[in-house]
Amino acid sequence: MNKIFEKGGKLYWLHSTVDAFETFLHVPGTVTLKGSHVRDAIDLKRLLILVVIAAAPAALFGMWNVGYQHGLAMGQTGVHILEYFWFGFLKVLPLYLVSYIVGLGIEFASSQIRGEEVSEGYLVSGFFIPLIVPVDIPLWMLAVAVAFAVIFGKEVFGGTGMNIWNPALLTRAFLFFSYPNYMSGSDCWIAFKKGETAVADAFTGATPLALDGPAQYGTGFWDLFIGTVPGSVGETSVIAILLGAILLLWTGIASWKIMCGSVLGALVVGWIGNAAGITDIPCYMQLLYGGFAFGTVFMATDPVTSCQTECGKWIFGILIGMLCITVRLFNPGYAEGMMLAILLLNTFAPLIDHCVVSAHINRRERKLKAA
Amino acid sequence: MDTNNNVYTVIYTAVVVVVVAAVLAFVASKLGPAQDANAKAETLRQMMSAAGIKPTDELYAMKNADILQLYADNIEEAYTIGLDGEKNGELSVSKDKIELVSKLKPQHKAILADGDATLPVYIFKEGIAVIPIYGAGLWGPVWGYIALCPDNYTIAGAFFDHESETPGLGAKIKDEAWFREKFTGKTVEWGEEPAFRLEKNVEATGATNAVDAITGATMTSKGLNEALNTWFKAYENHFGVGAFFNMLEEHADSETANDNEEE
Amino acid sequence: MAQKLKETILNPVLKGNPITVLVLGICSALAVTVQLKGALVMALSVIAVTGLSSLVCSLLRNTIPNRVRIIVQLVVVAMMVILVDQILKAGEGTYAIDKQLSVYIGLIITNCIVMGRIEAFALGNKPIPSLLDGLANGVGYGLILVIVAFFRELLGSGTLFGFQVLPAAYVPNNLVILPPFALILIGCIIWVHRALDKDLQEN
Repeated sequence: MNKIFEKGGKLYWLHSTVDAFETFLHVPGTVTLKGSHVRDAIDLKRLLILVVIAAAPAALFGMWNVGYQHGLAMGQTGVHILEYFWFGFLKVLPLYLVSYIVGLGIEFASSQIRGEEVSEGYLVSGFFIPLIVPVDIPLWMLAVAVAFAVIFGKEVFGGTGMNIWNPALLTRAFLFFSYPNYMSGSDCWIAFKKGETAVADAFTGATPLALDGPAQYGTGFWDLFIGTVPGSVGETSVIAILLGAILLLWTGIASWKIMCGSVLGALVVGWIGNAAGITDIPCYMQLLYGGFAFGTVFMATDPVTSCQTECGKWIFGILIGMLCITVRLFNPGYAEGMMLAILLLNTFAPLIDHCVVSAHINRRERKLKAA
Repeated sequence: MDTNNNVYTVIYTAVVVVVVAAVLAFVASKLGPAQDANAKAETLRQMMSAAGIKPTDELYAMKNADILQLYADNIEEAYTIGLDGEKNGELSVSKDKIELVSKLKPQHKAILADGDATLPVYIFKEGIAVIPIYGAGLWGPVWGYIALCPDNYTIAGAFFDHESETPGLGAKIKDEAWFREKFTGKTVEWGEEPAFRLEKNVEATGATNAVDAITGATMTSKGLNEALNTWFKAYENHFGVGAFFNMLEEHADSETANDNEEE
Repeated sequence: MAQKLKETILNPVLKGNPITVLVLGICSALAVTVQLKGALVMALSVIAVTGLSSLVCSLLRNTIPNRVRIIVQLVVVAMMVILVDQILKAGEGTYAIDKQLSVYIGLIITNCIVMGRIEAFALGNKPIPSLLDGLANGVGYGLILVIVAFFRELLGSGTLFGFQVLPAAYVPNNLVILPPFALILIGCIIWVHRALDKDLQEN
């Protein structure tokens, strides 16, 4: 059956699409033709599936939280696990559909044009995108943003593995700069049905970061840790993200150096900011606000866009943490610094690697001369 | 001919520079009056837009000559005041003598230095007073005109302009009519600190001297807020007292009205 | 001869476009392309400056001392730029646009295309071809400017020449208004240009 898709076959032009579906289901039986290669049982596809599994707790909790926040806004109390989860699921499902249809559509089309195999990178990006945008974002905006991120962030550089920036974060950045009114302020983080408005007294839908001044940081440590606060779907619950982090670190997919570096950098700047009187927020709270945890665990550790050298990973992580908190402290206009910090460091990751490598070479050279 | 010898080079350069200078001087002197007329008409359009003499679109569609005529028909009085609130000079109301925006910068400096300022006040028909404001935006100066009702504290209209704010963000202070229209009917609380607030989410507080800042244009809004308050403070001695008595009167009126109801 | 003249006129607009092929003068292409009207006035100003500067420099080409030729060219270009600026300021209809373009009219002097064409063409050719070369390069620049401004105004404000063309329900895209997007658009134009013209593709 596959004959017609092979080279010279009638439907050869479709081969990358067919190949993509076939290898999605089976591990290909082909082996490298020459030279020796040690092959692990885990290939790119299994690896990406693991990342999705790691992000699942955050996604599931996020869906429940969408329902819970909506309930709060409507003046309901209680935890209603299934009811709230179902509400959130129905809200988030369209985001997933848009994310995958648009993103994979472009991915397939461009692989087809280049005549390459479709690679699976987008499976993970597509899973992350709905988790880092406001749940009430209009679907067409999401579609435009995904198309932009996949075409200009990924395909023009040569597809999966060649991209400079994390495609999921690029989607969010596009939305952030294109439609600021839909990405900040007090309305966008809560899902409303048509015609509904908040009824609860003194209700504010702003994320803790978007509120002005530390006095209003009403939500306490445990609310933030468990994640019962408004925010992007997947970013609110620190504990669910930590579960994912454990899995990623245990399987060795994510780099612990980047994660530790990011936390360390954030703590240092947060502590300096607090000590210098710029902010009243204790430094450890900075780790719980906004997208810091999600960004550190799932976005900064993206193996394609982060540093490759071991020393570079430390530098990369620490700079992300420091930059994120610096943006939070000094630019009230861009309350969420994590996205900007990671994208900026993505840009500089190759440079950091280059510096690390050449420093290493110089050191060896000097040793050689001394000997 | 050897074009590379020193004497030739020096003479050649000198001649070129003199010729170019002559051409430019000639053109500048020929076009100068037309440029001045444009700048004057622009200032008048902005003032009259704030005073509500005609809709802004119509003012911008009118020819310069018609604008001058319209100004001459509607201006009643124009004078300058010092920081003590006392009149210290007359501005000619004649249409040929008009204070341009470029005059606002030295005044702004004088206000900040607490020095000798000559702040213009333009009284249009029906007692509407137009005062300028001036300050620093994100990329360059921002300025504008605020028209006050005869009660001296209600804003009758406003117009804002800028030199180089970001299009689509800070430039909205000029481009978006809804922004300046939000000022109409608001009040200046003379003597309060601050007299007017252009900040995030202040309209929700119900204050009559507050307008929401433009989303995404934090620095421009901040600069405009500072310009408004710096200049309102400078005019406080002039308008504050009158406004206070007007408020008292209104208050008394409403009191008697209440009394009547009770009887 | 006629063939060469045709080449002089067409090459800068298409195959040797100063922006998409030589990548000159993109600074102003980023700054003044938010609105179509401004871009059009900017394009016309640049066409006037490149054309006239090339003409004058070509007339003077045999008399300019080699050691100070850059300075002399600069004086000529500066004169043209100031003239254009003064004329725009004096016109009743163009005053508002000049204000909107603010410093960028004056900055035409820093546009590499102007000096580049004088050095590369006008100093070695007769006045008429030089004039045409200058004008054509201005047109090539203006063409890209107008294309970029068309998309930026359409997507960023939903208008064209200030008139609403997209339905009011369209939510303007703020990113398009920010300068980085002009760079992305120019990138796309270069992409399309190279895809169409095989000679421009690098290996």
